[in-house]
Amino acid sequence: MSLVSANGFNFKVVLLGEGCVGKTSIVLRYVEDKFNPKHFTTLQASFVTKKLTFNGQRVHLNIWDTAGQERFHALGPIYYRGSDGAILVYDITDEDSFQKVKNWVKELKKMLGSDIVIAIVGNKTDLEKDRHVPADEAESYSQSVGAKHFETSAKMNEGIEELFLELSTMMITNHDVKESRSNSLNRSNSIRRSNALMVDDAEDTPAEENATSTRCCGAG
Amino acid sequence: MYSTKSPSLRINSGDLKCRNGCGFYGNTQFDGFCSKCFRERQQGLERQRKQRVVASSSTKIDPHFPRQKTSSHHSARAATQQHTFPPSPSRHKPHSPQRGDQQERGTLKKNAILSVFQKTSTQKNVGKPERPYVPDRTEMEFITGLKKLLISDDAKKKLKSDIQRLDATIRDYLANHRSIDDLSECVQNAYTRLSEVLGRDPRFQTASPEAREECMNFFEKVVMTRNHSYLFSPCFTNDEEQDSKIQKRIRQLGWITVKHLSCGIDEVHSASRELVYTAITELVAMDSFYSPQEKLECIVRCCRHIFTLLKHAVGGPASADEFLPALIFVVLKANPIRLHSNINFVTRFSNASRLMSGEGGYCFTNLCCAITFIENLTAVSLSMPADEFEALMKGEKVYTSAWESALLACEGLHLISENMKKMDALKRKNENVLKGIECFKEDLKQLQAEITQKIDETLIRAPLTILPIKTPEFLRTRAQSLILSDAAVAEQRRNSGHFQSNIVTSLSIDRSDEGKALAKDSTLPIPIIPAVVGTTKPTDRDKPLVDTKPEPVKEALSTPTQSPAGRMSASSSADLLYSSPIFNYSPFDTNSLGDAATPEDFLSGQMPDFTGGITNINYDFDLSDHSGDNSVAEDTNITTGFNLEEFDPLIQKPSSSYLSSTESGPDDPDRIGAVECEKPKSLIESDSPSEILLPSPIKPTSATNYKGFSNFEIPSISCNTGDFSSLNSCEMATECLEGSEGVADKK
Repeated sequence: MSLVSANGFNFKVVLLGEGCVGKTSIVLRYVEDKFNPKHFTTLQASFVTKKLTFNGQRVHLNIWDTAGQERFHALGPIYYRGSDGAILVYDITDEDSFQKVKNWVKELKKMLGSDIVIAIVGNKTDLEKDRHVPADEAESYSQSVGAKHFETSAKMNEGIEELFLELSTMMITNHDVKESRSNSLNRSNSIRRSNALMVDDAEDTPAEENATSTRCCGAG
Repeated sequence: MYSTKSPSLRINSGDLKCRNGCGFYGNTQFDGFCSKCFRERQQGLERQRKQRVVASSSTKIDPHFPRQKTSSHHSARAATQQHTFPPSPSRHKPHSPQRGDQQERGTLKKNAILSVFQKTSTQKNVGKPERPYVPDRTEMEFITGLKKLLISDDAKKKLKSDIQRLDATIRDYLANHRSIDDLSECVQNAYTRLSEVLGRDPRFQTASPEAREECMNFFEKVVMTRNHSYLFSPCFTNDEEQDSKIQKRIRQLGWITVKHLSCGIDEVHSASRELVYTAITELVAMDSFYSPQEKLECIVRCCRHIFTLLKHAVGGPASADEFLPALIFVVLKANPIRLHSNINFVTRFSNASRLMSGEGGYCFTNLCCAITFIENLTAVSLSMPADEFEALMKGEKVYTSAWESALLACEGLHLISENMKKMDALKRKNENVLKGIECFKEDLKQLQAEITQKIDETLIRAPLTILPIKTPEFLRTRAQSLILSDAAVAEQRRNSGHFQSNIVTSLSIDRSDEGKALAKDSTLPIPIIPAVVGTTKPTDRDKPLVDTKPEPVKEALSTPTQSPAGRMSASSSADLLYSSPIFNYSPFDTNSLGDAATPEDFLSGQMPDFTGGITNINYDFDLSDHSGDNSVAEDTNITTGFNLEEFDPLIQKPSSSYLSSTESGPDDPDRIGAVECEKPKSLIESDSPSEILLPSPIKPTSATNYKGFSNFEIPSISCNTGDFSSLNSCEMATECLEGSEGVADKK
């Protein structure tokens, strides 16, 4: 459920995938640009926000990490309900994790249809020698389900930034399509063509503080 | 100042100092400040007055500036604070009215500014007094809150009307309809409408995005607080049933531990337990708040505690993989009342966008997940056998969790941990001991190696085998001939056949007796002395005997021609004398009877020789006989001493008697047999004449017997070898002949 206000887009993105595929690492690499968990300043990695600016449009990403354990699989719908984007992560060295991704795709398509933008991410490309999921297979599968395929390495910081930027673009497009077809198509195209994407971190801190203070007021 | 103080009071020097605490002395004229601080203070007040003017002009923009109760109250409180501000209030002195007035005005101005800036923060406290839920008071708070919103009057009016409209809608709806979902949708629609209004209505255009958000929150909060009693767990829903159901379920699941959920909470660690308790408290407190936002805040705080907890446990930012099990554990342990009602209330009536984004939304979603998980919990999800799960659920089986142990048997756990620490310490000690043992073993090995090496070195340096020296036949014959010649000379000199035969027989006996003799250290090889002298100076051998001290006597007694003649005769008679013992002639008799020597010759040769012989013997005896029995260095002396001893007439007596006994060989077989047994081979091999004298029974003794006996004599051999190894002289060589012979025999 994207909230469009003067603040810009507010997207909810869920991270789905089997345990130990590197969901958390991807998020932390994206948000803090660090890999070793010892060095993180954030308290937690399960809920992170990131603010971007696309051509003057502010995009607020709420990235929700989910528990990847099999026994929590049934809780998936609670997590992805109302999300604008889903990042399905698999481990390129683990065939099973790719199968899990396929299951997730089916489930998401069934539950949310085209409301959700899906990105399929093969993580751990730094372990290329142990690859068990062929890149072209994953790519073709992704195309067949209308998802975008990425290959990343949270450890080496490869493809993380691109993943989130591309996903944001896709979510904006999807949102625009939903909002008003005629107008948004042109706009989204223009957005897509323009590579002038820039990460606006400077604005993050004051805005964040504001947000929390607002919540505090609410708590009273 | 002094006058005002009562005389009983002492005035410290501190009392006279500047009230600002700058260290300088103050003055009553300057309100107790020093001149400098007073001036600064005055300047500060002046500045405040100027700011007041600016502030008043700016506050005019705010439509509701003339502040009502709260703000005025606040300013009053701030004013009192201002009054108590000076460091020593007790010394606050009534000052001139003008100045006081000025000061008061200053604080008022200041507070006016403060209240303008503190608007949002005062609003924060609005929720708290709401809790007692006294309608009038809520209404009042609502008005107060509304007035504090940073929006225009028109916007406020619009907001107020919206609130009232939604209020009315809700109550109207509840009166007619019974569907909570429709009501929820209605409320959500109202939120959406308001958010649209806030975004597009010109009345809100002046307000900042934050102010608009504030309006949204205010709207939601007011409506929900007012209608809490109607909307929270309405009687037409099954919320209450669900509440009791989940409560019962959680109670049943009380046995679940962190292990079952495989989450990283350290139950025993006190700090993490504290955090778990705090999280539980926050979760339980959720029920006591009215508005969804406040409830969400509780959940967020609870989750933050869990994240802190997990950060300690995991050593990094916690991911959802760790967070969700921990939250489930906290929910299970907290068992919050009216859990479902609260969740449903928030789900239905909170702004949907709030639940879909933001930390609150995430935490709430996770809480929903936790509850769903708890409701659908099976044996599989805890990865445990189904029957065990059933038994635990029915309470048939009691699961003693570490959590309960920590609560109930904290003491025991503490003891266990203490013991574990002790065990660790002991283990470490044990390891040290084992290491020490290993080290010791190594040392021992090294020591052994060193010792072996040293022994080897010593052996190499001083080897046991100096066998090359043994050239038995050559040396023996030489020694033998020397002995015999010597004996012959002596015989010739002394004309004492008996004595000479004694020597020869004793030689043979001694040689046969060698083993025993060596062991006893009483009779070391006889041949040595002659051999020694013979090898070194065989020709000189005669001379000392003849030319020693007795010479003058000899000369006095005999003519110079006599002595060569005597010698000549002696040499000629030596053969006779030599053969005499072999053929068992009495040497004396042979000498006296068979010898062609004249009586003069006999007398002249014998008498001086006798004396000379005695002196010679005595002389030699003194030199060496008493020397050490054991000392290696003196062994040479020992040998000479022994040899000389043989010449001693005093000792000769028993040996002569022994000789006679040997002569009667067959008559005394035991004795000889014993001798034979001691040293059979040397006897057999020896060329000594006594061999013939010895009885035949000796020879047949088997070699095995000898060996058996010889084995006992190893010490004596070693003694001998020691002698040999330490000496290199020619004397040694002769001795060696005997010694090595013995060794060889034994071998």
